[in-house]
Amino acid sequence: MYDGEFAAVVGPSGCGKTTLLNILAGLLPYRHGTVQVDGVPVKGPGSDRGVVFQEHAILPWRTVARNIGHGLELQGVPRQERRRRVREFVELVGLAGFEERYPHELSGGMKQRVALARTLCANPVIMLMDEPFAAVDAQTRITLQEELNRIAIATRKTILLVTHNVDEAAFLGDRCFVFTRRPGRLKATVTIHIPRDRRIWKEVVADPAFTARRDEILELVRAEVRVE
Amino acid sequence: MTRFGRGRLRRILLGAIPFLVLGTLWQMNAVYRWLAPIHMPPPAAVWSAIFTLQEGCPGLLDALRQGSGCLLTNHILSSMGRVALSLLVGLPLGIAFGVLAGIHRRLGNALEPVGVFANAISGIAWVPLAIVWFGVGWRTTLFILLNTVFWLVFFNTLLGVRGVPRVYEHGVLALGATRWKVITQVYVPGALPSIVTGIRMSMGFGWRALIAAEMIGGDRGLGFMLFVSAQEYKTEEVFLGVLVIAVIWMLTDRACLVPLERWTIERWGLVWRPS
Ligand SMILES: Nc1ncnc2c1ncn2[C@@H]1O[C@H](COP(=O)(O)OP(=O)(O)O)[C@@H](O)[C@H]1O
Ligand SMILES: [Mg+2]
Repeated sequence: MYDGEFAAVVGPSGCGKTTLLNILAGLLPYRHGTVQVDGVPVKGPGSDRGVVFQEHAILPWRTVARNIGHGLELQGVPRQERRRRVREFVELVGLAGFEERYPHELSGGMKQRVALARTLCANPVIMLMDEPFAAVDAQTRITLQEELNRIAIATRKTILLVTHNVDEAAFLGDRCFVFTRRPGRLKATVTIHIPRDRRIWKEVVADPAFTARRDEILELVRAEVRVE
Repeated sequence: MTRFGRGRLRRILLGAIPFLVLGTLWQMNAVYRWLAPIHMPPPAAVWSAIFTLQEGCPGLLDALRQGSGCLLTNHILSSMGRVALSLLVGLPLGIAFGVLAGIHRRLGNALEPVGVFANAISGIAWVPLAIVWFGVGWRTTLFILLNTVFWLVFFNTLLGVRGVPRVYEHGVLALGATRWKVITQVYVPGALPSIVTGIRMSMGFGWRALIAAEMIGGDRGLGFMLFVSAQEYKTEEVFLGVLVIAVIWMLTDRACLVPLERWTIERWGLVWRPS
């Protein structure tokens, strides 16, 4: 992946997307091939690769602010500096006013915002996301996708997003890696040339450049599902 | 206003009714003598037993000192002191082994059956053996208590740690946490509701086992007091002892343990899992 790139891995459910992401994160061992971050091989989990999980992974016994600042706390960043950075990311994900709430007081969409802010606040080299919006309702998902795009612009982070949702992959990805069904292999790479600032759902659905790419990916994925 | 709301007050009053009925019957018995005072001493006699037991007590501060002649307070403090001591020792040990067994799958599988086995034996069943090992005295009663506290806390901690979703560990690892940080910031707090339940259970079982152990294998404490008083046919002292035992337990449980349990579980919105 390139620096600052937004890559989307899309493939049918059960093809091994979560497995791939966990290997990249260093949470699962791999037998063949290599995983490198800036030329350094991955040996285990580390704060250079932030992960946003499919399930709610934020800690229920920490408030929103303490969850978001957790990475900095682990890095030993002093409290004053930590508070400043936490405030910045609380605002970035639109959770101002909820700093002292506990996760069980938040909606599913808000919990994923906390998870996103927690990962970004630790300032990883790359952010890995595993179907982060799969568990929220359709309306919230669209909002969160647009917000993620805005955050990608604001932070210029390198992001790898894994999803089974073709719309999501096409909407967010600079490049979409389409995987075959299990055992998942790379089937095709689709590049999407739409500037980030023009990626708004209302606009892209009317943009033939978007719909053509999306339908191309859709065909590729559906071919995989159909063979079953 | 929710905590001391009207519903709560009504519940407390409702729960007090049976006690009032029993107390009234008890006082009526004192007047009408359905049962002889040697079997059922009047409330007034039980009340004055407090002062009889404390007769040799020189002053308020001396009540805290063992062997000062303040019999009742000495026995109470002796029992409660051992509970405190067993908590001080048993709690850290139980939590440490429980966490270790909870995160290390093979160790956990090896130790879990022992936990089930140990918890199946009621605390009191150890008394005869403990007397053989330690003789009659504080060592035996302390052993009984420690045995109860350790295994219950160990077992509940183990279950609690196992119940912590793996994704919490993964999330914190990806933030750059070390193994030690994962234990202290994920597994221990995640298991806390279960640990608190373990503490509450161990206090309940431990307190009962202690009283029984003091009767058979002790030389002081409330259980010992009950035993001696019964042998001397001082029924009013027996009544007093039983009431004190019950009141101490109710106060500890309602005023400390239940709020603690509720606080950890409700604040974090965790569901209490029966173990
Ligand atoms: N390349 C592979 N070969 C064999 N089994 C695989 C492979 N990739 C994943 N699996 C298995 O398939 C199951 C689903 O994988 P998962 O990564 O959760 O899929 P996804 O996230 O795409 O739905 C898992 O049990 C995983 O072990
Ligand atoms: Mg998955």
